[in-house]
Amino acid sequence: MAVVGSILFAFYAVAAVVVMGVFGWPLGLVLVASVAFVGVQYKLGKWMALRSVGAEDLPEERAPDLHRRVESLSRDMGIDKPRLMIARMGVPNAFAVGRKGAGTVVVSEELLGALDDDEVEGVLAHELAHIRNRDVVMMVLGQGVASIVAIVAQWAVLLTGDNDIADFFLAIVVGQLTQMLVMVFVFAISRYREYVADDDAAAEVGSGEPLARALEKISRGAEGRESELDAQAAALCIFDDRGGLASLLATHPPVEKRIERLRGR
Amino acid sequence: MTEIRTLLAAVLGLLLGVVCLVAPAAVVRVHLAGRRPTGRDGTYGTDDVSDRWRRVVQVVGGGLVAAGCYFGYVALGLG
Repeated sequence: MAVVGSILFAFYAVAAVVVMGVFGWPLGLVLVASVAFVGVQYKLGKWMALRSVGAEDLPEERAPDLHRRVESLSRDMGIDKPRLMIARMGVPNAFAVGRKGAGTVVVSEELLGALDDDEVEGVLAHELAHIRNRDVVMMVLGQGVASIVAIVAQWAVLLTGDNDIADFFLAIVVGQLTQMLVMVFVFAISRYREYVADDDAAAEVGSGEPLARALEKISRGAEGRESELDAQAAALCIFDDRGGLASLLATHPPVEKRIERLRGR
Repeated sequence: MTEIRTLLAAVLGLLLGVVCLVAPAAVVRVHLAGRRPTGRDGTYGTDDVSDRWRRVVQVVGGGLVAAGCYFGYVALGLG
């Protein structure tokens, strides 16, 4: 992972040097602008994530047991108890946003309805591990680096061309492809961090079995729903079944592999 | 020089268009990672993408392929 992180830093360094060379920005300004860009993405991302699912605070009196579990897990993991929210997402899901000391965990009503108590605890431990390991911040930082490199690549194309329609098209395409290339490395880190969060969750609850069972139960439920999906659309997505390009551009490892690893601990 | 850049626009446009057509979910993930919670369109533990977003990206992919073909046509002096 150190190699992948170094590659990401190299991408950013090249972009920073280009900005300094082309626009004459001093290093300090490049760094301040980069931090501001990522900071805005972080703040906006957190707000949008909660808003996009319609998350609401889960009062302690409504789910005292869930609050007790989160409090106990947080204490064991050495982090402040995060804000606990609930949303109706239509599917069993849970996610964490924010950082250590200012984290939020959102669980869907469907997840609470589908899983047993120990399975919910496994899921919560996994999400708390993401907060403790600063994985959310890492993803925002990765997306920030990818966006900055893509914007610089776009401007490099625009400033060296004749500003005709082909140049504008080329700039957009180069920006998109550059972002995709950088995100390949960000996603590699993300998949690795998922395994780490699984291991941490298993260590906290004393076994990988509850989380493995939760993943198994949910993916079995998803198979039923997927069969109802539009077959025509699915047929067009020939690389989206976790092969080739899709596996390089995936934030999570395959569920089956995670279950296998959790059970093999 | 202009022709080379136009040809590059054609080739890279076609490449991006094909990626959008065959792997739309991957393209959506590239843009939403770190900005939106994963699994919202699928289930916990996955990073599935809804059919609606896949179709939007495939339509954009179709447009990119068409634009790539146009620029290729211009760059090769067929127009």
